[in-house]
Amino acid sequence: MIQIDGSFGEGGGQILRSSIALAMVTGSPVRIEKIRAGRSKPGLMRQHLTAVQAATKICNARVSGDAIGSTQVTFEPGQVAGGDYTFGIGTAGSTTLVLQTIMLPLLCADRPSRITLDGGTHNPFAPPFDFLERAYLPLVNRMGPSVRATLERPGFFPAGGGRIVIEIEPAPMLQGFELLERGELRRRHARAAIANLSPSIGDREIGVIARRLGWEPTELAIDVVSDSRGPGNIVTLTLEYEHVTEVFTGFGEVKRSAEAVATHAVQACQRYQKHTAPVGEYLTDQLMLPMALAGNGAFASTGLSRHSETHIELIRRFLNTRIRAERHTADSTLITFSSGVT
Amino acid sequence: MSNRVVIGLLGPALDRGAGPDRWSQWRPTVSLCQHEELLISRIELIHDPRYSALVDVVAEDIRSVSPETQVRLNRMTFRDPWDFEEVYGKLHDFARKYEFDTEHEDYLIHVTTGTHVAQICLFLLTESRHLPGRLIQSSPPKRRSSGSPGNYAIIDLDLSRYDRIASRFDTEQREGTTFLKAGIETRNPAFNRMIDEIEHVAIHSSAPMLLTGPTGAGKSSLARRVFDLKKLRHGITGRFVEVNCATIRGDGAMSALFGHKRGAFTGAARDRAGLLREADAGLLFLDEVGELGIDEQAMLLRAVEEKRFFPVGGDREVESDFQLICGTNRDLGESVRSGAFRDDLLARINMWSFEMPGLAARREDIEPNIRYELLRLTDATGRRYQFNKEAFAKFLSFSMAADSRWCGNFRDLNAAIARMATMSPTGRFTTEVVDREIDRLRMSWRMLTTPTDGPDASAIEALIGERLDDIDEFDRVQLVHVVAVCRDSRSLSDAGRRLFGATRKRRKIANDADRLRKYLARFGLDWASVVRDVNS
Repeated sequence: MIQIDGSFGEGGGQILRSSIALAMVTGSPVRIEKIRAGRSKPGLMRQHLTAVQAATKICNARVSGDAIGSTQVTFEPGQVAGGDYTFGIGTAGSTTLVLQTIMLPLLCADRPSRITLDGGTHNPFAPPFDFLERAYLPLVNRMGPSVRATLERPGFFPAGGGRIVIEIEPAPMLQGFELLERGELRRRHARAAIANLSPSIGDREIGVIARRLGWEPTELAIDVVSDSRGPGNIVTLTLEYEHVTEVFTGFGEVKRSAEAVATHAVQACQRYQKHTAPVGEYLTDQLMLPMALAGNGAFASTGLSRHSETHIELIRRFLNTRIRAERHTADSTLITFSSGVT
Repeated sequence: MSNRVVIGLLGPALDRGAGPDRWSQWRPTVSLCQHEELLISRIELIHDPRYSALVDVVAEDIRSVSPETQVRLNRMTFRDPWDFEEVYGKLHDFARKYEFDTEHEDYLIHVTTGTHVAQICLFLLTESRHLPGRLIQSSPPKRRSSGSPGNYAIIDLDLSRYDRIASRFDTEQREGTTFLKAGIETRNPAFNRMIDEIEHVAIHSSAPMLLTGPTGAGKSSLARRVFDLKKLRHGITGRFVEVNCATIRGDGAMSALFGHKRGAFTGAARDRAGLLREADAGLLFLDEVGELGIDEQAMLLRAVEEKRFFPVGGDREVESDFQLICGTNRDLGESVRSGAFRDDLLARINMWSFEMPGLAARREDIEPNIRYELLRLTDATGRRYQFNKEAFAKFLSFSMAADSRWCGNFRDLNAAIARMATMSPTGRFTTEVVDREIDRLRMSWRMLTTPTDGPDASAIEALIGERLDDIDEFDRVQLVHVVAVCRDSRSLSDAGRRLFGATRKRRKIANDADRLRKYLARFGLDWASVVRDVNS
């Protein structure tokens, strides 16, 4: 039984989700203690419980401590089974975070899967759907499997009610890749999505983007979302390079001006553009687990976040893969994955 | 883990909200489902059909923020939602018809929405346990339009009531005597004197006590209260172990009392400590001690005197330092004379002997005991039980009457109260309920008048003598009646006519005198002896 201290590093729900994902792909039982110990409401909240329950379902695990407020979970995975699954995440919790927990084992499952997730699709502190679809999944697909994501209905905090569908064609095993250069920029576009709010918010956001980034009107769009249950606003900037696509997001919130929302995304985009490395901070974090599981490959990153460092620690507990992070160029880090046998 | 189920009313004002703006408002019913640490498996939403459009929005929004929650809609029409009687009646009906599954579901009664009248009714129904759950009260966030779900508090009325009752009992029972009487203000002077003595002995002595008295006089509950008092005054640290010796007669008695070692006999798969060991440092109450077998008596004597004994099949003595109270409804002196009880054991256990009078001997204590039983019932069931004034007067006067025998003593009284509670769904005992209970009590006492202990039985005993033991109870009843009829009749033929009247109507030839003669002869009796005896 692998023991994980849930309060180390980033110390939040990520350790729980990634530990369970790693337990499923390795088949090792795991006990996670002190879950979210430093948070104001420690232990499992509803969205974490849903993640644990979803994982339990896809691999027929034996689990204890799966209750609200529980700070210790024991998870003994069984055989991962692909198939048709639906999970609902309460409090407009992030669908992509639950997906993060269960997708990795399904990539190499015995048969294809179709996962329907209800809840929030564009949450602060979680990868938004557009990032998942355009930045993350194309790289996963480069590793062997074929994953397709569809946004059936957007879900914003606090109303939720969004739905995403993920279809997975598994591969026998994951194959690492090498991603050291962005290649040439092929397309860039900005989108201000407005749900149940005044479209003028979108105008102001697009205005900020045009001014600060100097993008052409054809590269800017306002998307009035008609099928959202509640209000929501999000700004998405996408840079499509030859070898990688990156997505930057600004989230609308109560009492936050449209300008501030757009500026947040613009600044993230500008920071990335100043770098030369292809893989941004969030994408780095997402790629840690699949690349480690593949056990080979390398990519150049703009830098390691606390999340990524926590991931490296965690991976060490489950896998033999060696992860080396070293200075690549003046402003980028080269992360190399190799099988630990040598 | 049990599932959380919320029961609440749709708030036509507070839950209102149309358009996307509603998400920045605090809507108690929807907001309750938006707390990240409160997982609600099901919500029972009670609503007036007038607000069906609103309830659809609320239900849909709950599904959106809480896919884990099943939303069940319950229609309830109020002509006037401010009319206390109507609202209470309808909510009461809802509670009565609802199939609560308290073993698997944890109910939270949401009292933030609905009219104040509805909120008060929900409170009352929860307090009376018609709604077997806790209250949940939600409140808005500090900043109204922040979209935050606000706060909530779960209130367990059971706990607060428990505290209140406990503190009330604390003051009532400060005195040991009141304590021993369970807080019942008994009025019978002899009984009160006895309790004074028991209190003194309980506090100052650890010697055995013997409680005698008829069954149901309260020996067992007094023994437990003596234990509680000793514990309160730090006279004892262990447990209260109670055993009815009548239930452990035979082969198992030894090992039940004194324990056994593994393999002592077939089926002794492992060591068993036995009740005496369990009572170590505590108090052992042996009820019906007169039923104890003679071997067990010998062992018990040694255990009491030496504080050590051999478990069955054990070759090493074990120790147990327990205090002892024995109870019996037998005359143990008589048992000693007949050889059924050891005199040395009796001498040892009746160091302090108290005779508990039956209920019929302390009728003035019936009233405080009725009040106590009602209180206890309310405490145990969470419902308030009361007599109406007239019914109480009626039951009391029946209880006090000289021909109310109270054969089962307090057991009868408690059973009567419990039965009346069952028959009173509203919690109020009416005169009809009391009348029916009086009939039931009279009937049960009549049934207990067996021929062997009634005056008539003594009549046939005089006739038949020792042979009575050979006659089945089945036949005794008949014989008692036949003898009584004979003695009330002028002649054998007269008695025969009365006894065989039904046959006589069907037959042409009357032979009832002959039948009666033959019947008496079966018991070695004839007309003369039956009638003569009555005159002597």
